[in-house]
Amino acid sequence: MKKRRLAALTMAAVMLTGCGGGGTAETTAAPAAGETKAAAETEAAAAPEASGEAITITMVESLTSPERTAVIREIADKYQADHPNVTIDIISPPLENADAKITQMLMNGSGADIVEVRDSTITQYATNGWIADLGKYIDAWDEKATLTESANEVIYYYQDTAYMVPYGFYQRGLFYRTDWFEEKGLKQPETWQELYDSGVAVTDPANSRYGYSFRGATNGYQYADTIYWSWIGMDKLADPNAAYFLKDGNGATIFTLPEAKEALHFYKDLFKNACPPDSIAWGFSEMVQGFVGGTTSMLIQDPEVIATCSADMQDDQWALVPFPKGPSGQAVFPNGFAGWGMTSFTEHPDETADFLLYLSNSENNTYFAKNYSTIPIHNNAAEKDTYFSEGRFAMYMDMAKEPDVYCHAAYPQMYEAFATYKTEVDTMYQKYLTDEITDDELLTWLDEFWTKAYADEGQKW
Amino acid sequence: MKQKSKLRNRRTWFIFFMVLPAVLIPMIFTYYPMVKGSMMAFQSYNLMNVKNIKWIGLDNFKKLFTHSASNSFYTTMLNTVKWVGISLFAQFTIGFGLALLLKKRFHGSGIYQGLIFFPWAVSGFIIGIMWRWMFNGTSGVINDILMKLNLISQPVGWLADKSTALYSCIVANIWYGVPFFTIMITAALRGVSEDLYEAADVDGASKFQKFTSITVPSIRSVLLLTVLLRVIWIFNFPDLIYSMTQGGPAGSSNIITSYMMQLVYSLDYGLASAVGVLCILFLVAFAAIYLSATKYVQEED
Repeated sequence: MKKRRLAALTMAAVMLTGCGGGGTAETTAAPAAGETKAAAETEAAAAPEASGEAITITMVESLTSPERTAVIREIADKYQADHPNVTIDIISPPLENADAKITQMLMNGSGADIVEVRDSTITQYATNGWIADLGKYIDAWDEKATLTESANEVIYYYQDTAYMVPYGFYQRGLFYRTDWFEEKGLKQPETWQELYDSGVAVTDPANSRYGYSFRGATNGYQYADTIYWSWIGMDKLADPNAAYFLKDGNGATIFTLPEAKEALHFYKDLFKNACPPDSIAWGFSEMVQGFVGGTTSMLIQDPEVIATCSADMQDDQWALVPFPKGPSGQAVFPNGFAGWGMTSFTEHPDETADFLLYLSNSENNTYFAKNYSTIPIHNNAAEKDTYFSEGRFAMYMDMAKEPDVYCHAAYPQMYEAFATYKTEVDTMYQKYLTDEITDDELLTWLDEFWTKAYADEGQKW
Repeated sequence: MKQKSKLRNRRTWFIFFMVLPAVLIPMIFTYYPMVKGSMMAFQSYNLMNVKNIKWIGLDNFKKLFTHSASNSFYTTMLNTVKWVGISLFAQFTIGFGLALLLKKRFHGSGIYQGLIFFPWAVSGFIIGIMWRWMFNGTSGVINDILMKLNLISQPVGWLADKSTALYSCIVANIWYGVPFFTIMITAALRGVSEDLYEAADVDGASKFQKFTSITVPSIRSVLLLTVLLRVIWIFNFPDLIYSMTQGGPAGSSNIITSYMMQLVYSLDYGLASAVGVLCILFLVAFAAIYLSATKYVQEED
């Protein structure tokens, strides 16, 4: 009797926790199972058509929004009109876990022909052999001559193999409140120091006005990085795409330089003296809301914020100007990118590649870039559409004219360790900003993390 | 005789086939993923490179318990205890109180009950986003109200301060969890026979005596079960924390399950699974101790 009771007890315990704890397994295993089913269905749907001439190309988006999907759909419809045997299916998973969905589809090895590849996911997809080399298609492409230098760099980003064609770039610029600046007699900030000084001048906690929209939560480290780089300068970096490592340093990192320490102190001062105290918990939406809603006077963000500012503010209240420069005389910031990759298991590689390049031709890419506020990949975009040479967007073209001053650098995303880094680093900066750890402790942690990554994985740029 | 054993044999088979689905379905959909997922805890399983998966023994667990500047797992465990303990206590007390008030039907009690139920119907992530803006340090409504009541002079960065971030999340969680207790306990209370109270009145029992000697014992099994369920659910409820603070600032508001979510996003499934295994072990142990301490199963017998 007692034994039975004990058994019942344990069973009950396991069942109860099993239901609740299921959440754990669900996130990893269950969606994968669901995906198989969905993939099988799409395959089943595609199979009978394939026996005729008809082909279905399935593309999966990551950075989705209803407006953007409509733009892609429009281009796809145009393509379908020219190629009646081709049907293009666009799958748009919810933004929050789109990359996880894509990963599951790729692990399954079916259900997708084109996937959206981002700077943060390309290493994972390429390392695992999930996306195909587009080299021969690009070599034969009649529009490859007009690709910008940045676009070519991204196409061959990972191990000199053409794993993706970008659809555009996300470059940050400085948004500031012209009306507040005029009120205080301040001029447009061109350097980080000027940004700091005018930020402090504007800050008035009693009226909840602050200088700068700080980002302390997710991806806040990216802002610290741009400050390090503009203090250090491009010359000392090993490679723009692996900008944590020193030139000829054999794996030595920038975090041991005295400039890095100075930059870090500047970063903390900026937070303490010119930013809302709760901005340590701010992510993208709070930063933008802080600026648009009239709490902060400056914001560094992607061009997609132009639309928000235009909608919520008067035209003479704000301006978008080039990225601030540091003591090195350079302004260094990431040239964020995303684009399209072809899966390695697609059954119709030729047709898929044809559509992928159609999507990326100068006409369609310019149209896409204009409607989605990214920087286009063809250098004739400004000729095709004056949108890129006039108005707010023109600032990006101005920056592009001075490539020695406005430079691009990025964190070493090609390292497998980067995924772990990304989840730990923001916490470390928050610990530093709240005085839980010292500057040396933070820099040592950064240095050790990347020295170890280099030792484990070797030189990957 | 032969006929009889054949019949029994057929009956055994019949029973076997009837029971089979009940055994197979949980096996396939609950236990197989659980075992498969748990195996990852002993592997170096990183989605960054699935071609390089290897067995590493207890290394993932060692990593969790190693002291270092970047490891906040000890804080996370302590936070989990606070998160579950405080949330549960407040949810239970307020929920029980409301249920007692709702026990007697009054004019409009149905509508009132419906309104109380509302938070329970909203998804965790949406509640998180709602409260995140309410607690916002510069434009949040909570600061605004407190300042107008002259309770604070300066806006407080509720979610930005290490000492308040977790408690702010707990407040949101209490708001969310009260209705469950209210509804369950109200239903149970309405099942208690009025005769008992009348008899107690005859015996001259005080209100408090009636509460401790009639109300509580009558609904004991509901109370025990709801508390057990809620402990497990609150433990497994990272949604709020993830959408309010993402465990920040500096990991000060992470609980075990929100930390696990973070690890899943870092693609280190091995480490995430190690945390998952600890969660399951902890909950199984808790449930077993709780059930035996409260003699819940015996009572069912």
